[in-house]
Amino acid sequence: MVGLSVPFVHPFATSQQLACPDCDALFELPSLEVGEKAICPRCVATLQIHQRNSLHRTAAFAMAAGVLFLVANSFPFLTLRAGFRESEMHLWQSAVGLEEDGSPYLAGAISLFIELAPALLIGGLLYLVLPLLWNRRGPGAITICRAVVWARRWNMVEVFLVGVLVSLLKLGKLASLTVGTSFWAFIALIFCLTAALASIHPRELWARVETAK
Amino acid sequence: MNAFAPRSAAARGLALCDICELVTPVRESHCPRCGGRLHLRQNHSLQRTWALTIAATLLYFPANLLPILRVDSITGDSASTILGGVVQFWQQADYPVAIIIFTASVMIPILKIISLVALCFAARSGNRPRRMTKLYRVTEFIGRWSMVDVFVVAILVAVVQLGSTISIHPGAAALSFAGVVVLTMLAAMSFDPRLIWDAAAHRNATQS
Repeated sequence: MVGLSVPFVHPFATSQQLACPDCDALFELPSLEVGEKAICPRCVATLQIHQRNSLHRTAAFAMAAGVLFLVANSFPFLTLRAGFRESEMHLWQSAVGLEEDGSPYLAGAISLFIELAPALLIGGLLYLVLPLLWNRRGPGAITICRAVVWARRWNMVEVFLVGVLVSLLKLGKLASLTVGTSFWAFIALIFCLTAALASIHPRELWARVETAK
Repeated sequence: MNAFAPRSAAARGLALCDICELVTPVRESHCPRCGGRLHLRQNHSLQRTWALTIAATLLYFPANLLPILRVDSITGDSASTILGGVVQFWQQADYPVAIIIFTASVMIPILKIISLVALCFAARSGNRPRRMTKLYRVTEFIGRWSMVDVFVVAILVAVVQLGSTISIHPGAAALSFAGVVVLTMLAAMSFDPRLIWDAAAHRNATQS
């Protein structure tokens, strides 16, 4: 990594104590080497991981995920051909199609799981991590960090992919179905978003956001 | 309600913020870092988990008995349930797909409901805390994966728009099924695994 110097922030800057989220065992903060993981001795929950280059990796994967998210939403996802008829489906239509069909609640849920939550995750991570590279934070960083924690629970891009594969098999016998650019971008998006989230432990993200100027 | 386990953060009046995981004295009432409400254990954890689990169980019936998909075509209209879809794939010798749908849509929701009930009982009895905590983690992780069938419906409805020849519409089960998944996810989120450890400590204390 050239040019950028990230000052070392202790993972638990304000509190000297750490409690296991699963069994509430109380610990003094451990000092972890890069690549080490702290595990609760009582219930084996992962408490903290000290990743190498966590900020740079998260920033890189989140930027890639952002581009891929735009690509995945700009091109046809699936194309169905039967005889002379052809219908194209864009990613966002999986929700809009249901809305037009008279299922607004399902449509809302699906747009949350595959559009809103991932968009919030990618946008939120970029908003937090890019300034953090210079140990700074933008206005409302704490609120954004809370939104990221929330969006993480409802993001279902990888589950959607399994749904796509099942649909391909289901329709493959009735008509010829081809996947578009958006489909491949979506697969890459799943990889990048998962990698971005796995590159920084939430606890580390919180500590860095808290201590940034 | 059992007393807090000794050597736990709660026994010393320290609360773990459930949003940002900062450890602070609970008398602060709000997390100084993220502003989240502080509590030693999740409020009404077991009541909420029970209520959501029961609601999910009730919805599980329409989700499986009603059609999830309606196909209107010139040759006639047909509707299929989740199990009907599994049987269809099985008869077409698509065994892997049949197994995937059966696991995601039938097995996982049932297993989730059973484990939520088991977790609620474990939070009272304190039996095998380590194993039950593991069960809790699996339950939380696996929850989203039963949404597959709802996504399949969404994709089919969106992609199959071939004019008057054939069209696909979501059945009544689609919403119920999404409801089952969301309710079990919320139930797992409102369950507090630390209650199991409190109960286990109480059990050890009364036995010795």
